[in-house]
Amino acid sequence: MIDVRDLVYEYPTVRALKGISLHVEPQTITALVGPNGAGKTTLLRCLAALEDPFSGSVIVGGFDTRSDPRAIHALLGYLPDFYGLYDGLSVRRVLTYTARSRGIAPALTAAAVEKAVLRVGLTDRIDVKAGDLSRGLRQRLAIGQAIVHEPKVLLLDEPAAGLDPQARRDLSVLMVALKDAGMTLVVSSHILAELEDYCSEMIIIEDGMIVGGKPIKVKDVARPRYILEIATARSDLRDFLAARAGIDVIEADEYHALITHSRSAASRARLIRDLLAAGFEVSGFGESTRALEDAYFSQVGQGR
Amino acid sequence: MNPEFRRNVWLELVPLRLVVLVAVLLFAFFSAALTEGFTGPGSIARWAYYVLVVVWGTRNAARSVVGEIRDRTWDSQRLSSLRASTMMWGKLFGSTVFPWIGGAICLVVIMADVVQRSGAAAAVLQGAYYIALGVIAQGASLLASLIAAGRRQGRSQFEVFAYQIVGIAAAIMVWAIADPSGPTIGGIPHTDFVSWWGLMLPTQPFLLVSLAAFAGFMLLGNYRLMRLELKLRNGPTAWLGFLLFMIVYVAGFDAWGGSNLIHADAIARRLYLAGVVSAGLTYLTIFLEPKDRVFFRWLGGEFAHFHLGGAVSRFQCWMMSGVAALLLGGVLVARLAVLNWAADEATIGALLGFMTRDMGLVVLMNMAARRRGGDLLALAVLGLLYGLMPPIIADLQYGTGQALFLPRVTDPVWLSPAAAWLEAAAVWVLAFARIALPEQQSKI
Repeated sequence: MIDVRDLVYEYPTVRALKGISLHVEPQTITALVGPNGAGKTTLLRCLAALEDPFSGSVIVGGFDTRSDPRAIHALLGYLPDFYGLYDGLSVRRVLTYTARSRGIAPALTAAAVEKAVLRVGLTDRIDVKAGDLSRGLRQRLAIGQAIVHEPKVLLLDEPAAGLDPQARRDLSVLMVALKDAGMTLVVSSHILAELEDYCSEMIIIEDGMIVGGKPIKVKDVARPRYILEIATARSDLRDFLAARAGIDVIEADEYHALITHSRSAASRARLIRDLLAAGFEVSGFGESTRALEDAYFSQVGQGR
Repeated sequence: MNPEFRRNVWLELVPLRLVVLVAVLLFAFFSAALTEGFTGPGSIARWAYYVLVVVWGTRNAARSVVGEIRDRTWDSQRLSSLRASTMMWGKLFGSTVFPWIGGAICLVVIMADVVQRSGAAAAVLQGAYYIALGVIAQGASLLASLIAAGRRQGRSQFEVFAYQIVGIAAAIMVWAIADPSGPTIGGIPHTDFVSWWGLMLPTQPFLLVSLAAFAGFMLLGNYRLMRLELKLRNGPTAWLGFLLFMIVYVAGFDAWGGSNLIHADAIARRLYLAGVVSAGLTYLTIFLEPKDRVFFRWLGGEFAHFHLGGAVSRFQCWMMSGVAALLLGGVLVARLAVLNWAADEATIGALLGFMTRDMGLVVLMNMAARRRGGDLLALAVLGLLYGLMPPIIADLQYGTGQALFLPRVTDPVWLSPAAAWLEAAAVWVLAFARIALPEQQSKI
């Protein structure tokens, strides 16, 4: 869905992106992470065809940002890191304007607005003025603006900033729902734990370059990562697991193992049963929730 | 309905404001009618129109784009599916819809007043004049704010005020030149006919047609700049058309001012006026348009790969105007050579050289400036070169040395143009070097 080749972007006095290449598959959620000033926002603006690259190419949905930026605008939803809202308008009017200006026919606008407010949880505040909403609710409205026209590609720059824990969880659910509905999402954030819930791939940007040179697969939906813990040390834990078909051992010591394994419940039950039968005192077995963070720090560490 | 216009209507047309507006205007007209003196309803309506449509309207027009940038809603609008024309009309008449409603009420009173005094034809003329005045003023403010948006600057209240002033200045010019009830045309006593390209044309229709043409170009300019903001590309045709219009329009006035500018034949005078207007537009646009190192490098790359069509199609306005000025200047020099006016020939040659040098200086200063401020730096350098250096050289009793800074009649005559063109060459070499400098070194 997104194909970037050797992207170079220059501000008047600094080169912000230094030859970035990446590919984003359709219907995926890709995390864009990196320290402040790494070039994440610039990259998102280039993907949104809001900025022209100095060299290289950015293809979104088959359109080149240089030759056909308006076609890209039509299939995009974009939430900037610092966004604005029309404070004097109600939630309904803000979304109605956005829907109409994004090409939704007048007859379909009301339904699109209703769907958007339902998705972002603003149904009960639809007639409240944007200026009267709390920061978290404003963030939700901004996300509503970005999705009201059902874009094919959604670019979100720090979407969880200002959201409370419950709203963040709701956002995660929304992200997955949007992906399942066919959207391709690229999400920039500093909060790795939050990205963990819904991102399948990660792009680490540092000093205008992708660390490691390519996106990292952090989560395979069909084969997630699991952490296994045993109560009594066994030096043959790694060998036992590695010998079994369908298991990839990422790392292991005498007490723990991080593996990838089929998501199937029956398969997992079979593995636990075999471990117990082999005398391993299994004290814990669950899906790893630190894959993104582990991958981030291992890659950033390598880069330094 | 145009979504951008409707959004503005939602924001601007609050019922309470409308009620207050109508009540205040009716009260003012009623009071004026009772006094029956200088402040009759017609007079009050004229002043109220100027305040509402010109002063208030230009402020709203100036804020219609810059305000979006300041409030961080502009990116969202740029991503919209609205066409540039829809966005432009929606902003121009949407942001100003409240002042226009007040203006429309005033216009009804003005026209009623004129019908009573001078008849229906005069009222229609006045109505057209007032509407054109408002559109030009607000269009000029929107144009100024779009230019600032293109330069990625100008969001403060003071700068919005500056764009408003551009609109008010445009309104004052229209009022001074084209007010049907005015005694003069831009300070020149009103005559029934105007000489243009040797034709004697009736003044009032000529001014109205001119006004309509300038208003049209103003709106076209807004549309073209809005296209750029929406990431659409503009070809050179519209600017070349405007340039041609200005050249033909101004050159037609040779009987008025041209004869005092150069003592040659009509062709030379018209060429001179055409060259002056091209050069003027070159200086104006080079300061208004963004000087982007990335764009200049891309342009250089296109020329290096002989992609001349692509390069020329993205020429900035100052480049096209500059080339036109040089071409017209070249033809004028040839004409003066035929007429054997060697001194003027050299002066024109020097003028073209200095203009070329100045363009290079503006580019160079913009490349040298760390962030913004290149244009101010260029203005300071030009002020130094034209304002300070010639008197210093004169004080040193070295008159010929002034030819380094100003077009001068020298002995030999080629000295002045030679100095100008040598300076131009040197400045452009430096400018090209600066454009090509890698970004890390350019920060130093």
